[in-house]
Amino acid sequence: MVMNTSLNIGRNPGSTWLLAISAVFALLSLVLALFLGVVDIPASDIGAVLTGHGSPEAQSIIMDIRLPRILTGVLAGIHLAVAGLLLQTITRNPLADPSIMGVSQGATLSVTVFLVFTVYSGDPGSNTLAALPVEWLPAVGMLGGLVAGGIIYLLAFRLDLGPLRITLCGIAIGAVLHALAIGLMAGWGSSRIEILLEWLSGSLYARSWEHAEFLFPFTVVGLAVLPLVRRPLDLLRFEAPVARSFGLAYRRQFSIVLLLSCSLAASAVGAVGPVVFVGLVIPHLACFIAGKRFTLVLPLTIALGAIVVTLGDLIGRLIGQADEIPLGVVAALCGVPVLIALLRKMP
Amino acid sequence: MAARQPTNIVRSSTLTLIVLMVAAMVIVGGLLVGAKPLPPEAAFKALFFPDGKIDSILVWTLRLPRSLAAFIAGAGLGVSGYLLQVLTRNPLAGPDLTGVTSGAVAPIVYCFVFFPSLSSVFYPLVGLAGGLAAAFVTFWISRGGRGRPLHLALGGISVSLFLGALTTYILLLSGSQAPSLLFWLTGGFQGRSWTQLAYMTPWVLVGAVGALAVQRVVGLLMLSEEAAAGMGLRLEIWKPLLLLLAVLPVAGVAPIAGPVAFVGLAAPHITRLLKPSGPGWTIVTTAALGGLILVAADVVARSVAVPKELPVSVITALIGGPVFIYLVQRRSISL
Repeated sequence: MVMNTSLNIGRNPGSTWLLAISAVFALLSLVLALFLGVVDIPASDIGAVLTGHGSPEAQSIIMDIRLPRILTGVLAGIHLAVAGLLLQTITRNPLADPSIMGVSQGATLSVTVFLVFTVYSGDPGSNTLAALPVEWLPAVGMLGGLVAGGIIYLLAFRLDLGPLRITLCGIAIGAVLHALAIGLMAGWGSSRIEILLEWLSGSLYARSWEHAEFLFPFTVVGLAVLPLVRRPLDLLRFEAPVARSFGLAYRRQFSIVLLLSCSLAASAVGAVGPVVFVGLVIPHLACFIAGKRFTLVLPLTIALGAIVVTLGDLIGRLIGQADEIPLGVVAALCGVPVLIALLRKMP
Repeated sequence: MAARQPTNIVRSSTLTLIVLMVAAMVIVGGLLVGAKPLPPEAAFKALFFPDGKIDSILVWTLRLPRSLAAFIAGAGLGVSGYLLQVLTRNPLAGPDLTGVTSGAVAPIVYCFVFFPSLSSVFYPLVGLAGGLAAAFVTFWISRGGRGRPLHLALGGISVSLFLGALTTYILLLSGSQAPSLLFWLTGGFQGRSWTQLAYMTPWVLVGAVGALAVQRVVGLLMLSEEAAAGMGLRLEIWKPLLLLLAVLPVAGVAPIAGPVAFVGLAAPHITRLLKPSGPGWTIVTTAALGGLILVAADVVARSVAVPKELPVSVITALIGGPVFIYLVQRRSISL
């Protein structure tokens, strides 16, 4: 069971090493992702590009394609992993994840609505396709994810459901939103189906600096707020009455953490599409590595989020070559065995 | 046993009859509505004296077969949901949450895209294999389905998410076929013909009649597994058999109607509110009610947004989602 983040504050010398190693691994995976790709660029050229002296071709591949893509992936990975950690803590459910709780499906629905209704420019009768406002997708997706989070919140407190029941409601809401999205897509989305499917498969394909720039403020704010909710997080692991007896404003803190988690998850889903299981598996991986040293879980979650998404995307790029395998598929393939193992272990 | 009392049998059969009559009324009413509304007398004339003109084509080749298909599909899904709920002793079980639906759908999409030469006659078999495999994985994860409801829900949703990611990827690879596949994936009965109805019906019948044939076993399993075993029931034979019976209708329905969400979950619960006596009548009533729900959803789907059609799954999700949440929030279900 997750997750005791700070009750045990013993700082032992091993932790520093562990953090240093994970930072090195994160850097290594970034470098690897920068160096490897469908187009072979020798290492010396990459060095030249980074100092501003590369050939125009190498310059554009590195600076316009690989680097923004990697950065978007890193930020999205961090978002999803931290969002999963927070959700798992407040729902007291080790298997909570944005894609299980309906946040991803909310984002999917809003993106579908947006793409379907911006298809034709001007009056509805005209047949000219409107220029696709792709730069809006992250924001639109994020909005939908937040709305789904809001529905979960309302159900949680209107019906006064416990955390586990909230998880189940999240599943139901996710299913309904998903049905609506698919229905809309099939009924009205024909001219945009390729874009929709591409987005829906959760991919870092063609992600640009705008995507990274969109995610960055959320990363900064989200990570800055985290230390402030550390004590509430510790207490939110308990039943509401117990937490209240420790002087926790349960409902308010629950809402704050839920909002934090949903904004991180929703912005990531908005930028890269629904990527399943990352938010679920990584906190467990962090706990597995950190053992009982709970102060390490959060930084490890962040580092692993970056590493796993970067490598997952790299694998998808390399295996598929020109027809790359979307990150969402790689994540599903790698995530499902971990998930099954966890479920089998669950009490 | 209470189930044998004649008054109960009268009550239960009346109940089933009423549901069936309402369904028949919806089917007949459904003949009138659509992109071209028909006045009742024209519909009756076309129904009983078909003359090959527009009206009778509307009735006999478009509206009647699709409504009957919706009824049969709903009946199958209802029975399937009921069997799964008995089998897992889990009120949240249904074809969707046990992964059966997505297990049936994913390999069919795969065959459609990569083995276009495979005749669609085989799709129910493909769906059966996939649905059974997915159900086995879900059941294995949740310890033979005897884990807590939360367990099964999480296991099923994980299996579904995983298969969903694969399905999306296959769709992405399918290129120009994507729109028609997506249309099928929304679930629906637009343009379903007598032939397709004939393909689907045996699968549903085998599931439903099979369930009726083993209703004594179902009744014992409803008590508890220990009680059933104590009465000499060989669980290692009957549980897989019931699972097979539960997956058969879904395998038959999926290739024709696509994944139709939540009917299998909602129908048995609504049936329980009506309190039919004994498992046999529950199965019959659930089938009738599942059919009624889906026929009604189909009629709504094709008449609210004329000339467009709403996907039927949207309607059933909007009905089934709240039912699910209602079930979850009841304190009587221990997670």
